[in-house]
Amino acid sequence: VNEALAGRMPVATGTDTETFAALYERTFPRVYAYVASLLRDRSAAEDVTAQAFERAYRRRGSYRARRGSPEAWLFGIARNAALDELRRRKRRARLEGDPEDTGALGADDHAELALRREAVRAAMGALDGRERDLIALKFSAGLSNAEIATVLGLSETATGTRLHRTLTKLRKACND
Amino acid sequence: MTEDTATIERDLAAVDAALASGAAAHDDTFTRELQELALELRADAPEPGPAFAEELAARVDDGFPRDPRSARGRAQAAAERQQAALERLAARAARGPDGLGRRLLKPIAGVGLPLLLIVVVVFAAGGPPGGSGGDSDSLSSAGSSSSAESGGGGAESSGSGAGSTESSGEDSAASAGGGAASRGDSAASGGGGAAGGGAASRGDSAASGGGGAAEGGALQSGSARGTGDTGVAPAQPLPRDGGFVPGQRDRKIERSFSLELDVPLDDMARVADQVTAVTNRHGGFVLDSSVDTGEDGGGGDFSLRIPTERLRPALRDLAEVAPVIRQSQEGRDVTREHVTAKDRLQAARAERRSLLRRLEAAATDTEAEAIRRRLDLVAGEISGLRGQLRDLRLRTDYAVVTVSLLVAGKHDSNGVGGSFDDAMDDAGGLLVGSAGVLIRVLALALPLGLVALATWLAGRVVRRRRRESALA
Repeated sequence: VNEALAGRMPVATGTDTETFAALYERTFPRVYAYVASLLRDRSAAEDVTAQAFERAYRRRGSYRARRGSPEAWLFGIARNAALDELRRRKRRARLEGDPEDTGALGADDHAELALRREAVRAAMGALDGRERDLIALKFSAGLSNAEIATVLGLSETATGTRLHRTLTKLRKACND
Repeated sequence: MTEDTATIERDLAAVDAALASGAAAHDDTFTRELQELALELRADAPEPGPAFAEELAARVDDGFPRDPRSARGRAQAAAERQQAALERLAARAARGPDGLGRRLLKPIAGVGLPLLLIVVVVFAAGGPPGGSGGDSDSLSSAGSSSSAESGGGGAESSGSGAGSTESSGEDSAASAGGGAASRGDSAASGGGGAAGGGAASRGDSAASGGGGAAEGGALQSGSARGTGDTGVAPAQPLPRDGGFVPGQRDRKIERSFSLELDVPLDDMARVADQVTAVTNRHGGFVLDSSVDTGEDGGGGDFSLRIPTERLRPALRDLAEVAPVIRQSQEGRDVTREHVTAKDRLQAARAERRSLLRRLEAAATDTEAEAIRRRLDLVAGEISGLRGQLRDLRLRTDYAVVTVSLLVAGKHDSNGVGGSFDDAMDDAGGLLVGSAGVLIRVLALALPLGLVALATWLAGRVVRRRRRESALA
């Protein structure tokens, strides 16, 4: 780890500390997945992911363990960066818009799996922005319900209720 | 399906279990479908390209450097230098392993500097609380009105004899009719002067001549500590409200003096008696007094009226009763008021003489009645002016002397080597003063802080809503 990352961040649990680099290693794929799910644009997702980590790096001194885990803090920054990007290009690419290149199945994917995945993506397209944000935080970012609640500024109960409702809606859309 | 809490918790727990195990195996069909959906969603999560991952990892390793040629790069370099300097300062300030001081330095500076600014503004605008507390020595015009007026009132109630003399002279003039008018005038200014006017002339000479000079000199030392030594330079009373009349020889001056005497507690009663005795000996009187010889408090206050011509020896005697801690004097020139009232009185008398002559020559009852009515009015005016003159004369004939007896060792010494009690008193006063400043500062800072806080919160809400609007 580079000496430049010597700035240590307290971890929410325990008295151990970890470097920013360790946090990056642990969260990079998930941050990217979350941002890409939200933006539905790989190129923009890369820019915003880089921007989010840079912001987090420069503001690492502002992290307070009592406010939540480092993941919640980091994903809060990433979410703000993604929302800022969405606002900037709202006219060009809405969440409800169809351009989407977040993933493509490989040639060896099973046809049934491909159909199923396509159905899920189509159902995702039917969700509104807040619902997609919630799904992305849960399944792309891999956050716990408590961490999602911290990021969204909601109670854990309200977050669970919304998540359950959104999953139910998504399931119904997939089956229809 | 009803989203009751138990169902939601069961389904969410099942989803988490599926994500952890990677398998959807719940017995309930609905829940299992949710598990499968969750696995699908996770499996469909986008993955970063290796090139991007490598590039970003390199940037992370380098600490996200900025192009030093860019404006942001230069700004960053400057900010980093500033940050480093701040952190060095904070590290010096923080004398603990937890670096609490370093974390607090910025907030303290952020709050402290505006507060300091407010304190400066408060002091610049209103000065420190509690006033200067300085002595009001010398013949300052400020505040002299009230003391002079109260003194005048006292003199009026006690010394009405002088006024009554003049009044009788005037009455005789009035009864003498027109032909006796000149006698009446002379009685007022001459015969009356033999009694009341005589007192006035003494007062005048005391004010403008040796008496006035000596008295001023006796108190010229003002707040200087001492025993009331009368070594002396003539004090020139300052004019007040334009009352000084240039060229006026016999000026009318209201005088008030204040003495603070240092008296041992067990000697309080004796000194109080001596103050009264000195006052009586010099022809004055005690208007009011209070003496406290209790162990807890102790002290006394006297309000005296002393004839101005006896003021100098009276003050000297009072200064011999006990050591003088502080003394001050005030003077007010009322010559203009006196001259004006006197002129108006002469004019009113002249009018009355004229009316009396016209009354004698009145041809009809109607004319005589009109003249009588006018005479009544003029008589009232003359009476009021005489009262005004009498009041002025008594106020200038008698000086107001306030004597305060302070218990030795308990009064404010203003000295360097004060007692422990003095130190405690000073500390208490300092605390009260500091609290006053703090309250003033808070009175300003609190509303400003609340406004700033409300603005900041509103800004946060607006920013958050704008961001969230991207999801709408």
